[in-house]
Amino acid sequence: MLALDYAFAGLGLGAIAALSGVGLLITYRATGVFNIGHGAIAMIAAYLYWQLARWGVPSWAAAALVLVVAAPMFGVVLERAVFRPLQRRAATPADSLVATIGILVLLLGVAYVLWGAQARHPESLFPQSVWHLGGVVVHEDALTDLAVVVFGTGLLGLVLQLTPLGTQIRAVVDRRDLAELSGVDADRVAAIGWSIGSVFAALTGILLSATLPLDPFGLTLVVLETFALPVIAGLTNIPVAIGAGIALGIGSSEMNLWTPSHAGLAQIWDAAHANLFVILLLVALLARKRLAESGGDAGTATTFARRRAGEQSPARLALQYGVAAVAMLLPLAFGDVNLRQAQEIPALAIIFVSIVAVTGYSGQISLGQAGYAGLGALFFAKVSASTPQIVALLVAAIAAGIVGFLTGYPAIRRRGLFLALTTFAVGAAVSRFVFAQTYFTSDVTVHRPSLFGLSLEGDHAFYLFELAMLAIAFLIMYNLRTGALGRALVAIRDSEDGARAVGVDVRVLKVLIFTVSAMLAGLGGALLAQQSESFTATAFDPLEASLPWFAVVVVFGADSAAAAVIGAAFVVLVNAVSNQSGAYLIPVGLVAAFIGRLPGGAAEIARRLTDATITPTVLMKRFSASVPPPRTPPVLSERGREALQRLRAGRATR
Amino acid sequence: MSESVSGSRLEATGMTKRFGGLTAVDDISIVAEPGQVTALIGPNGAGKTTLFQCLTGSERPDAGVVRLAGRDITRLNPDARARLGLGRTFQRLAVFPSMSVADNLRVGAENRPRLGGFLRVAALLIGMLGFPIDDDKANGRRVDEVLDLLGLGHLRDAPAGSLSTGTLRLVELGRALCNDPKVLLLDEPASGLDTSETQELQTVLRTIAADGIAVLLVEHDVHLVFDVADAVYAMAEGRLLTSGSPDDVRRHPAVLAAYLDVGGAVS
Repeated sequence: MLALDYAFAGLGLGAIAALSGVGLLITYRATGVFNIGHGAIAMIAAYLYWQLARWGVPSWAAAALVLVVAAPMFGVVLERAVFRPLQRRAATPADSLVATIGILVLLLGVAYVLWGAQARHPESLFPQSVWHLGGVVVHEDALTDLAVVVFGTGLLGLVLQLTPLGTQIRAVVDRRDLAELSGVDADRVAAIGWSIGSVFAALTGILLSATLPLDPFGLTLVVLETFALPVIAGLTNIPVAIGAGIALGIGSSEMNLWTPSHAGLAQIWDAAHANLFVILLLVALLARKRLAESGGDAGTATTFARRRAGEQSPARLALQYGVAAVAMLLPLAFGDVNLRQAQEIPALAIIFVSIVAVTGYSGQISLGQAGYAGLGALFFAKVSASTPQIVALLVAAIAAGIVGFLTGYPAIRRRGLFLALTTFAVGAAVSRFVFAQTYFTSDVTVHRPSLFGLSLEGDHAFYLFELAMLAIAFLIMYNLRTGALGRALVAIRDSEDGARAVGVDVRVLKVLIFTVSAMLAGLGGALLAQQSESFTATAFDPLEASLPWFAVVVVFGADSAAAAVIGAAFVVLVNAVSNQSGAYLIPVGLVAAFIGRLPGGAAEIARRLTDATITPTVLMKRFSASVPPPRTPPVLSERGREALQRLRAGRATR
Repeated sequence: MSESVSGSRLEATGMTKRFGGLTAVDDISIVAEPGQVTALIGPNGAGKTTLFQCLTGSERPDAGVVRLAGRDITRLNPDARARLGLGRTFQRLAVFPSMSVADNLRVGAENRPRLGGFLRVAALLIGMLGFPIDDDKANGRRVDEVLDLLGLGHLRDAPAGSLSTGTLRLVELGRALCNDPKVLLLDEPASGLDTSETQELQTVLRTIAADGIAVLLVEHDVHLVFDVADAVYAMAEGRLLTSGSPDDVRRHPAVLAAYLDVGGAVS
């Protein structure tokens, strides 16, 4: 009977997970974009629901407002403002992926700034009473959740199968250009896809917030873990996603039935139990044989990594580096508090540089860098307890590199979206199974190193030491960028097929760059921990760190190590000025989300702002000029019209 | 060309490739001899490209063996094949758009097959530490030679992303040549080229073959094929119609019927 109790207990969570998975799949199938921001939309919707209820709106009305008004509108806005410009620019799926990460980061920032980090507890939308039916405990909300899933997806299925809209969605996904030629308004289809996806996300968020504490990062991450479902469903099969969601919910609940007697094993079992979705996401990504993106694969990060300002003259370059070096020394003149804050810059910069190496230089999207950084910090803390700190720092970087090698090796079999998801899953798994486990992180102490008997405890000395490490990182980056190795990496970024055609060993180079990047990240992470003289798990969280860091690097210029330092300075500066550690998320998220309008990122903004004489009207023109003029609606050719008529006739006779 | 290259024989026997119920390539055998230009022709959907992909390693054949200089390479990846001397170009271009034309070629020159296995990885690591062990001068010379051969000298510093399709086909060809191939596989090298460019391409192909390289091209432009090829294979619906000298193939009734629209295109 206990087994049945647990089954019912897990049913609710499984149903909600299925809802999230279906939402992701619908958007993906209607727009060809995998929405990394899905979880943040769920989170924002839950906050909105909570806020409305707090203002005295009855919870059913609050839910209705969010689900019927706010969420669909948000979807339409997303399509118009974010994804249509990308579509017009014929941007690659990798650009769209960046835009969805931008949405995620932006919404996280908005929630963080508006509502803070403390957990809220919205009222449950559905009654949560518990029934006892013949000895079995039945949770009423689990049944209502299941009913919502069945009703919502059933309705959706009918729409997709039986209405012209469904046909149009399928046509747009298969061949957008041909669908448009035969008179399908692809923009409208995409807007509908985004709206449906947003409504499903909002519903997920509202239902989930009844059982989970609502805070910006926690709930979002739980929803992101449901990425497992669309991956298991091969990005196509909605019923499989639903089944997998419910099975996972129940399975996770059933794991309560048994606990290993051995204490260590019990801890592992508990961790696995609490993170079943993360495990399955990773397993599905690594084990599924065929995983194909529909409508073109995200390939490598070419387009957004390739925008360089052109070659600079050596004199100008030297001047720029001179100015930058002086600027980096400025904090030494700061007061204690400011200097301590500035110490974050070199550490963070090294981590950002590691993202430049893997994403900018060689085009591999890596969304799990914080995992390697955190491992670097943890390795350093553990090893430095028994060895000189400077040796420990080296060991930590190498150990992080080894983890990068071990995880990079399977990851590189994937491309584009699936590589991005795999790296994200690796970061999440490391966070959950290492950073969140007291076994690894309890009584960890971090001390600043000493160099040949010279203590670096002092803030000035430590800052200089960090700069020296940053210089080493730059040296490595220089070697990665120049010569045959640098050209081979860029060749892989620009065209993997082309690189293979001349015998570039693509696999070896990819593993190499993952390893080097993880080493750099580990070094940066160790420095970050030394700076605060502590190890904090949230500092290396996949959501609070990995994804925003990736967005910063892309926004400031994925192809430039120097830009990564500017990005790090920006993050630290904004947080220091606003006195909120999440404030930088908003500007970074905004620019990343609007990568379709600002393909040049922060550098483009700076260039436009500083160009020539600026008057408000010139400025407005300059920014509006980047939006391409609307395309003339496709004229229906005679053949297209006939085809459409045949299609309609076929529908009617069915 | 100063660094004389001797070619190798590429031989594929019994190649078969199915996609679901469709047999795209049905038991085809083909040979590209060193020093010769071999052409593969056929109407759309004949299976030329699929066969080509099986030769380059982009596709795995369901049956058949590919041999390069007698060595079985059927199970090797594209990059491993390239290191053994199998050069190629692409129908859908695969240049490196963010690099200059010269750097595109340089990637070819720098990855010339020299070291095997562990030594290659070691060389990479040493390069990463700031001690590249490349013969920069030799690579530069090779790039210059090929730029001259293809008449791309004036474009050496132009970013590849800014050039026309026709020019980029030459850039790809140049990249492959810098890699010192023993066999060169060209996928529709003349598409996107104008008449005079096509004529230049003919000369280039003859030069390459005269150097001893085995050249195999898949091509739509029948004029180019019959002018430049030493041996022609004609395919239709996944099968080999006929093969032989250009003259034999041109007169073969099945070719005339299936591909050349009887008595038409080729005079």
